[in-house]
Amino acid sequence: MLAACCLSALALVTGGVRARADTVSPDGKVHVTYWDKWISGYEGTAIETTVAAFNHSQARIVVDYYITSQIDRKTIIATAGGDPPDIAGLWAQNVSTFADAEALTPLDSFIEKGGLTKEQWLSRYYPVFARICQHGGHVYAGISTPATMALYWNKTMFREAGLDPDRPPRTLAEFNDDCRRLTRRDPKTGALAQVGFLPQEPGWWPWAFCCWFGGSMFDGHSVTLATNPHNVEAMRWMQGFTSQNGLSDVKTFSSYFGPWASPTAPFFTGKLAMVIQGVWYDGYIAQYKPGLDYGVGPWPEAVPGVRDFGMAEADILTIPRGARNPGAAWEFIKYVNSSNPQARTRDELQGAELLDFLQEKLSPLRVWSPYFAQHHPNAHIAVFRKLAESPHIVCIPDMGTWWEYYREILSAFDKVRLLEATPEQALAYSQERLDESWARYRLSLERHGQAANVAAITPP
Amino acid sequence: MNPHTRLGRFVIYALLVGLSLVFAMPFVWLVSTSLKPIDQTMSLPLTFIPRAYYAEIDGQQREVTLDFTVAQPGVVAEISAGPEAGHRVFLSDDQLARRSADVRVLHRVQPGWWHVTVRINSTRVVHPGEAADPGTAGPAPWDLVPRSSIDSHVRFRWRNYPEALATIGGDPGTPGSAAALNHVSFWVFLANSLTVCVLGVLGTVFSNSIVAYGFARLRWPGRDAFFAVTLATMMVPFPALMVPLYGIFKMLHMVGTLQPLWLPTFFGSAFNIFLMRQFFLTIPEELSEAARIDGCSEWRIFLRVILPLSKPVLVVAALFHFLFAWNDFLGPLLYLSRKQTFTLSLALQSYESQTGGVQWHYLMAASAVTILPVVVLFLFTQRFFVQGIATTGTKG
Amino acid sequence: MNKRERRRLRLGLAFTGLWIVGIGTFTAWPVIASLYYSFCDYSILKAPVWSGLENYRELIHDDLFWKSLRNTLFYAGLSVPLGTVVALSLALLLNCEVRGRSLFRLFFYLPSIVPMVASAMLWLWIFNGQFGLLNWALAPLLAPFGLHPPAWLVDPLWAKPALVIMSLWGVGNAMVIYLAGLQDVPRELYEAASIDGATGWRKFWHVTLPLLAPVIYFNLIMALISSLQIFTQAYIMSEAANGNGTVSDGNPARSTLFYTIYLFTVAFYDLRMGYASAMAYVLFLITVLLTWLATRAARSRLQHLN
Repeated sequence: MLAACCLSALALVTGGVRARADTVSPDGKVHVTYWDKWISGYEGTAIETTVAAFNHSQARIVVDYYITSQIDRKTIIATAGGDPPDIAGLWAQNVSTFADAEALTPLDSFIEKGGLTKEQWLSRYYPVFARICQHGGHVYAGISTPATMALYWNKTMFREAGLDPDRPPRTLAEFNDDCRRLTRRDPKTGALAQVGFLPQEPGWWPWAFCCWFGGSMFDGHSVTLATNPHNVEAMRWMQGFTSQNGLSDVKTFSSYFGPWASPTAPFFTGKLAMVIQGVWYDGYIAQYKPGLDYGVGPWPEAVPGVRDFGMAEADILTIPRGARNPGAAWEFIKYVNSSNPQARTRDELQGAELLDFLQEKLSPLRVWSPYFAQHHPNAHIAVFRKLAESPHIVCIPDMGTWWEYYREILSAFDKVRLLEATPEQALAYSQERLDESWARYRLSLERHGQAANVAAITPP
Repeated sequence: MNPHTRLGRFVIYALLVGLSLVFAMPFVWLVSTSLKPIDQTMSLPLTFIPRAYYAEIDGQQREVTLDFTVAQPGVVAEISAGPEAGHRVFLSDDQLARRSADVRVLHRVQPGWWHVTVRINSTRVVHPGEAADPGTAGPAPWDLVPRSSIDSHVRFRWRNYPEALATIGGDPGTPGSAAALNHVSFWVFLANSLTVCVLGVLGTVFSNSIVAYGFARLRWPGRDAFFAVTLATMMVPFPALMVPLYGIFKMLHMVGTLQPLWLPTFFGSAFNIFLMRQFFLTIPEELSEAARIDGCSEWRIFLRVILPLSKPVLVVAALFHFLFAWNDFLGPLLYLSRKQTFTLSLALQSYESQTGGVQWHYLMAASAVTILPVVVLFLFTQRFFVQGIATTGTKG
Repeated sequence: MNKRERRRLRLGLAFTGLWIVGIGTFTAWPVIASLYYSFCDYSILKAPVWSGLENYRELIHDDLFWKSLRNTLFYAGLSVPLGTVVALSLALLLNCEVRGRSLFRLFFYLPSIVPMVASAMLWLWIFNGQFGLLNWALAPLLAPFGLHPPAWLVDPLWAKPALVIMSLWGVGNAMVIYLAGLQDVPRELYEAASIDGATGWRKFWHVTLPLLAPVIYFNLIMALISSLQIFTQAYIMSEAANGNGTVSDGNPARSTLFYTIYLFTVAFYDLRMGYASAMAYVLFLITVLLTWLATRAARSRLQHLN
């Protein structure tokens, strides 16, 4: 019994001591804890190589990379618990929410200490990526890996359907037409055997389809989900895929889909002929379905006259509030957000270009070095680069309630595609909820003395 | 049904056996999946017993995976011209008719023949640009063969277990690489779980026995009211406590460590107080009286008289808490963010969401490993379990 | 209070001292703090700001709150009665003088002590629409009628029933309790009933059930309280089966958005701890209410039976 008491007391004391992590290690260097989500595979190796390159490039700082899942929730918990990582690799949609929640350290002072103004720093990026980094008039994030999305199509299936495999649909009308011709049923059972396109695969961006049709999510002041008629139009188009093919047929058909990044993904197994996916998809195709004959091209024209519609996302790097080594953390973020613009060999690639070369994605910076532009491993990188440059490219709006907004859109999309509601009904329902939540959010910010954050929203 | 007739007894036994099979079936499926190679977990029709298949490809008897059957007659041919020259394809008869010019027929195929691919026996993730089968260029060789020409025998893939445990904490990578540094060993997860469980058991047994003594063997003003309040706290759902508890542990700088998971056990829990009090009440008062007359303090009576007699209930409380702590998921989810601090339950859940596609055979193997200690514990302590549950449930 | 009583009080408090600290720190304080937070606008990293009844007013208008409540009550409404019936039936079967009773009991009890995470993974796999064990068994049974087995966890209609089925697998705990209760019923009562000419069913209805009633009611209440807090399996299975890689929003179509999951999402993803505290309090009140109602019903029923 006495032993138990002592043991417990000991555990209590040592447990408390163990909770603190040492930052200045015996080797005299500053250790920066960096949490990010990249798991095994080529994306994970790329970040590790970049971290190693940074550690090699100077002698003062060592970045320690930790793979962390559910990183947004864990970062908040750790920050609230007073022991955050020095760098948290979040997603673009976390910037506004986390900044408003006072979970992030603004990067403005670091930029200025480096001799640049905020505008100069941001002008180095493509405008869409510059937008992603800001909130409330401050810079809160650097980009780790950017992505734009394009149309992938299965050339073999095109060929079999009698379509030209090297000519993807150029307009929405052609797209719909091609879908009809690419949809096949089993002659014996009548069940769907292959479908041209299904918006629920991968189903991450119903909002992007709305923007593609000319709609918008947010006009800088209020939610425009149901008020913008193009959004309704887009939802109706998405619903069409289910209503034209039959709800139970589609349900049965999609129950055979494996996850998007696995050998049983529908695009890999000849179930879907076309899919909208990001720049990362090339790598996954090479990993899970080498030899797939596919093409990559721009989005078809949905709004007349807009031929270069695009959508961008990014993984970002932030410094949580209360991080122990913000200065050293900034050095790494700066490294990953700069490059060697004259690199002519593989060894000369640095920073952003090194990381994006290894992850086979595009660079967020406007200027590309000759080696990066000409020897990029992603055969279709030019398509993605062109999309990044387009003036019609969209990204998520700068709203602190975006996470809730996104869940509402997904829920509305689910209802619409399962034929449980008409697009008008589903969007109106979500609009009401989102109006309330946005009003409440603004009230809350005012209450906490953060009204300025709302006034300075980056325009969409 | 009348349990005393022959028919009645037969029906009862039949029902029991049938229901036992139904209840046991998920376990059987768990073990079966955990011993299969990945392709056999996702092949139709479902099989229970993992097998190794062999077929002749390119003149060699190789181990293969069964992929799918073809429904129509056709040929396996090699494309002899054009950009796809050298590729081997399957063509149905009408496709062959259209392309007879640039293909060289290898052999005919009947409906129902199986597409088999040479098995790649590595768990290594293939990187873009790498050959899937090291040693050859391009994708693995395949062929279409009749079912009758495929040999097979039963083979359990025991390797799944060490491989699953090796990867549950992330990709082990090559020694010394950054991935290896990020990798958390299964033993760390096990140690974390055991730490929480053992310390929790110590705390449970220690604190609740003392408190229950106070409620059961002592008479003092306000005792029964306090006990009623104790019982009432069992009704408070954990979510109502979640947010402020989180705040308390944050203040104590314990968020991110294992402490919130076992520290509260040192301060009692309503359920265990109730359990132990029930038991203490059954010990005859005369024993305490005799000790009091002898001049013993209450603490000594507790230590020397009551505790030694209480081994059964202490074991039950220990077992219940061990089980609870071993299985707990919401607690670790709430407080732990760094992978090195994860308990097994959290590690298992993050394992599932790790890669792009779920590797069912590994996941089932890892699940089996977390279940096994519980099963073993139960087999050795059945008696206590049953007794303990009966005491709490029936006297409630 | 005289000296003797004071001495006894001191002794009592000394022994229960740990629990006083425990109940104060880990139960009473959080309950009070929860109440306070529920009237505040509290985001975990900023100080709480009093906002009055705003959270509660919003709760009433929040469609998702009601949906999560409905989902939870639906689940509880199915799993608790079905679970009780299954557990009781198994206990009745085992109570007959069968050989190898402990072996059968092992099969039925083991699933209830398995870690919920492992269980969720296993059932996720069993419910798989294409390669799952359940549909493999059901498909040939339904085929003659021209029906397909459902897609379970990806179908909004069948996701909750799937979780109910999974909960039935874990009734072992309740079964053991009922079995112990059944074995407490004195032999003589059955013999007396037989002499009076009662057959099996009547014996059950008039002897067994009344004596078992308190046990059944107690366990019904416990099962109800615990099913209202369902979290782990829903969290894991809805995220995995419908993985967008994003937070579990009760996919598909929020059919598995249970109360505690919504609470967790609001607290740790939307960072609205005040609102989450209001939800937690409502759950607390509902639990108390249901317990009180059930106890009253039980008491009156028991009096009636006796």
